[in-house]
Amino acid sequence: MRDPQMTCEIGTRELIELDGLGVRLRGTYHRAPQRAAMQDRVGVLFVNSLSLPRAASGDSAVHWADAIAAFGYPSFRVDLPGLGDSEGHATTDLLDFINAGGFTSVAAAVVKQLVQRFSLSGVILFGHCAGSVSALYAGAASPECRGLILLDPYFHLPQAKRPKLREELSDWARRSKLGRLLSNAYDHVRSLALLARGNAPPPNANAQLLARWKQVASAGMPALLLKAPGIKAQGAKPRVGEFDYMDYIVELAGKKSRVAAEFVEGADHSFANRKGRDEVERHIEQWLAANFPLPRFDVSAGDAQAPRSNDVKLDANKQMAAPVARYCALEGR
Amino acid sequence: MHIENQPDGQLASESNERAGYFQVSGAHLYTVLHEVKNPVARVLLVGPFASERHNSYLPWVRWARHLAAGNIEVLRYDYRGIGESTGDFEKMTFADWAEDVRLLAACLQQRAPHAPLLLHGLGLGAILAGRAFDAGTGDGLLLWSPPANANQALRATLLRWVGLEQIFKFGDDRKSASDYIRELEQGSALDVDGYRWSPELWRDSFQFAMPAALSSEAEAARAYERPVKMMKLTRDAAPLAKGGLVGYDDLKDFTWLFEPNREWIASTASQLSKKAAYA
Repeated sequence: MRDPQMTCEIGTRELIELDGLGVRLRGTYHRAPQRAAMQDRVGVLFVNSLSLPRAASGDSAVHWADAIAAFGYPSFRVDLPGLGDSEGHATTDLLDFINAGGFTSVAAAVVKQLVQRFSLSGVILFGHCAGSVSALYAGAASPECRGLILLDPYFHLPQAKRPKLREELSDWARRSKLGRLLSNAYDHVRSLALLARGNAPPPNANAQLLARWKQVASAGMPALLLKAPGIKAQGAKPRVGEFDYMDYIVELAGKKSRVAAEFVEGADHSFANRKGRDEVERHIEQWLAANFPLPRFDVSAGDAQAPRSNDVKLDANKQMAAPVARYCALEGR
Repeated sequence: MHIENQPDGQLASESNERAGYFQVSGAHLYTVLHEVKNPVARVLLVGPFASERHNSYLPWVRWARHLAAGNIEVLRYDYRGIGESTGDFEKMTFADWAEDVRLLAACLQQRAPHAPLLLHGLGLGAILAGRAFDAGTGDGLLLWSPPANANQALRATLLRWVGLEQIFKFGDDRKSASDYIRELEQGSALDVDGYRWSPELWRDSFQFAMPAALSSEAEAARAYERPVKMMKLTRDAAPLAKGGLVGYDDLKDFTWLFEPNREWIASTASQLSKKAAYA
């Protein structure tokens, strides 16, 4: 007996399960009003940022997925193996795992399933911070990937646990006037070192990831890069003495690339604050409209016409790779 | 990534997890039932609040799986306006979140076959679980790091957020926790980790307190004829307690915490079942 108060779908949201190479993955599908022929639609897939669940900081991913679906693009937030509500076990060196492309195969498998199950023409991968690393690796490995939305992507191999003394020094530098002076002096020494290096990427650059970036960006895959103000940064420019990865990757993408890099003033690194969240939404809407227009937009189409996962199966009139799994809490009481 | 079995036994019951939306007034709660056949007990998990949910999500899910692996059925959920649940966070009140606990506990209690129902709360969730228990809901209560009132929980969350904010600020740009608290007390809303805290939420948090009878286990033993266990989590339990590093501490082994607590729930449920049978 099923609890009448319990359901797998509400409004334009629906809970879904996917096969993550033998691991059961759980996620949320945000249905879009049927603005274009089903086969013309691209979907947007959100992947986890480090160990955060699929809602992301401040539930920002929920907000953006709702917004993107309302623009006409079905959106999917899926927990990768070992994260959120999905099965599997994430390793304790998760950051290293992600930076080495550990989620590439499973994320690419998810893209493939979404395309088949929902009859999409392709998928745009959306990632924030460590999620942008997973999105980029998966985008390069997935023939169905049509674009990338990367929030504060990083292209170096960060040190996950900084020594305590270093942390304390940094904190002191931020608090005191003398500390700030010394910090500024240190930045200038680093800028000299950067110049001496001929403005080449630092030794801890993630060469594997940069190669993937070059592969997809130079091939003309549309990419939207959004950057929040950094520590001691001057607008979109990084802190004095820091290598300018944004400039570098835009240049690396080449002249034929379709890369849009935007600075999001007022956002924090999570982009979850009100200002950051709204600006991200605005940039995404413009970018989607410019790169993935929905020509047969039916203004009168409302939520009632938004295809459900089961409707998609019927409308698409083609074999699904995997059955649509719908499980409700308290079902079978 | 291949599936490995985790030391704290998370995988045993994953295939019986059912996610769904539970309708409440003006919103839907996201719930996950860790279903068990013939459970020895049922537990409603009342989890961490707002941004604390995200930081401690992985160990919280694993705790639910650990319980289910021990034949204890679990229902976990997201508060109204938070996570996968719907509703506008800014408009939510402690009364709304208290109602969530009451409705879900009632729903869980109706499931067959009958088994003792325990409430388990962490942080602000401990107050919600404690108040529901005080009002007669549940056969037993487990509290981790219960604050005296909701303001203590909010303050702890605020301090953590201010600490992160200060990493990005220098000198005079750095605001202290007192500065932010002053803003709230002067009637301005505050964006904390993506959640807009209203001045009303802050004001009401002082009044939303743990029942006096739950100030200690000894007091609870005097006040209730139902079992109560309370424990303050130390830094070792981060991110379920304050501290720790996101992406590392949430993936560590929590067997040392989970196992004795699961044993307490199982033995408590066994005693309750025997008592009910004699009655």
